[in-house]
Amino acid sequence: MKKTIMASSLATLLFAPAVHAEDGSSVRVSGFGTAALTATDTDKAEFGRPNQASGATTHPRTGVDSNLGLQVDAPLNSWLSVTAQGLVRKDAEDDYGAEATWAFVKAKLSDDVSVRVGRMGLPVFMISDYRNVGYANTMLRPPAEVYSQVSFGGVDGADITWQHSFGDTTYTAQFAAGRTRAAINGGPTLEVNRIKALNLLVEHGPLTLRFGRADSRLTLTGSPSMDGLLASLRAAGAGYRIAQLAPLADAIAIRNKKGTFTSVGASLDWKNTVVQSEYAKRRGDSYLNDTTSWYLMAGYRFGKLLPYVSHASLAIDRKVDNTIPAACPAGYPAACTPTLRALSAAVGTLPYTGVSQGEQVTDTIGLRWDFYRSLAFKFQLDHVRPTAMAGQLIKPQAGFHGPVNVGAVALDFVF
Amino acid sequence: MNKQIKTLIAAAMLAAAAPAMAEVVVIVNPKAAESSLDKEQVAQYFLGKSTAMTPVDQPDSAAIRAEFYKKVTDKEPSQVKSLWSKLVFTGKATMPKEYADSAAVKKAVAADPKAIGYIEKSAVDSSVKAVFTAP
Repeated sequence: MKKTIMASSLATLLFAPAVHAEDGSSVRVSGFGTAALTATDTDKAEFGRPNQASGATTHPRTGVDSNLGLQVDAPLNSWLSVTAQGLVRKDAEDDYGAEATWAFVKAKLSDDVSVRVGRMGLPVFMISDYRNVGYANTMLRPPAEVYSQVSFGGVDGADITWQHSFGDTTYTAQFAAGRTRAAINGGPTLEVNRIKALNLLVEHGPLTLRFGRADSRLTLTGSPSMDGLLASLRAAGAGYRIAQLAPLADAIAIRNKKGTFTSVGASLDWKNTVVQSEYAKRRGDSYLNDTTSWYLMAGYRFGKLLPYVSHASLAIDRKVDNTIPAACPAGYPAACTPTLRALSAAVGTLPYTGVSQGEQVTDTIGLRWDFYRSLAFKFQLDHVRPTAMAGQLIKPQAGFHGPVNVGAVALDFVF
Repeated sequence: MNKQIKTLIAAAMLAAAAPAMAEVVVIVNPKAAESSLDKEQVAQYFLGKSTAMTPVDQPDSAAIRAEFYKKVTDKEPSQVKSLWSKLVFTGKATMPKEYADSAAVKKAVAADPKAIGYIEKSAVDSSVKAVFTAP
């Protein structure tokens, strides 16, 4: 219901050019979007962006990389303004859904300091809050190896930003605090509380350096398969008096668990050379893997053409410690050992199951063509190599194995 | 929508006209404290890195716009647009307001003590203050 209302109000905004304040008055409406077609060379698994419910196979799909965003900026006076942004895309639910990405009030306290209150982008990545704006990015989509590692993009709360230039070096420090909840593919909800995020940027001419750190408390609800596994572990632990099963269930559960994400990034846009890289560590104390992820992208601009290459990697540093014994002691009921084996198998697949889990490496080549004002055409080929099981591919069928080649064309626009 | 069509028509007209290369002059309000700016300072305002002054822009289709950004920021119009779209769609800034031509830019700068704009050298008069000239 809510979605329908939002979608129609987005549509109203889109087709009401009268709100374009061209006379110099206040309200500004701007938008961005991507129309894309994505296909792969396999039918045994689907390729989607992180947290999408379905993806592309050999049948080309528009849903993987297409989106449409609209934003309204309204200054209330010389120092206070309101911004709202809506985004239509495919995410955890398998249809185009509209979401209110941002809705905040911004107070400019001085030339250097501003405070925002409401729903804002959470600065966990270098391109966190414009990752949906294809036109603002060189690559067709952010590397999933890194960008899958935090499953929420916004925060409901407040942030303060300080920005100052000394000579031609600009320093920015941003601190955000708040909470959010994210729908996860398959039905669960991830509640993220006590978010504290720090984002530091230094921009000197063509070079940008970034450090980011985010701390949070995570709780996952509404996952019948996870609840079932935890209940089985506890029941087997109590029934067969196997002491390590209940603590294992506690270790797996995402219930008020720590989740931290630390990353550094650099980008360079010097003469015709474009380089962008991020390196990130995820840490936590639930079944979610501790990971190291990174990518390096480089491109060279030939006039309006910008060919680029990229390499991205996601590796597991620590996965949940499977403490289930291989067999029950002699004299236990006959059903005990098979139960343990089934539970052990289920725990063993956790590091490779679900959103943000898994290990994979992707090599990418692509081309951005700025063929017309405010319009960019992109073509990208990805060679995705899962290093364990299906990597981040979704709905793998029996007999699936990588690598997978993914091709996509996209038209990015802003208005 | 209307804007889009107007832009297209303007683009078609522009393609027919020969681009005139002229000196571009950066102007501020006569009440502004600055008496001169260097290239880097001008670039900071027009790339959204400083909000101490409010940049006002020429239309997308104007030859002077591409020329100004090339000379002052060493960037193509698409790079500049991409940069601004990062700022706009993260709610950090709003795109510089566009005015129809140099006369309109001059009028806007003359009316706002915080505004900064750029026009052809021939259009400069006493209603504004020239702070930088891009050769």
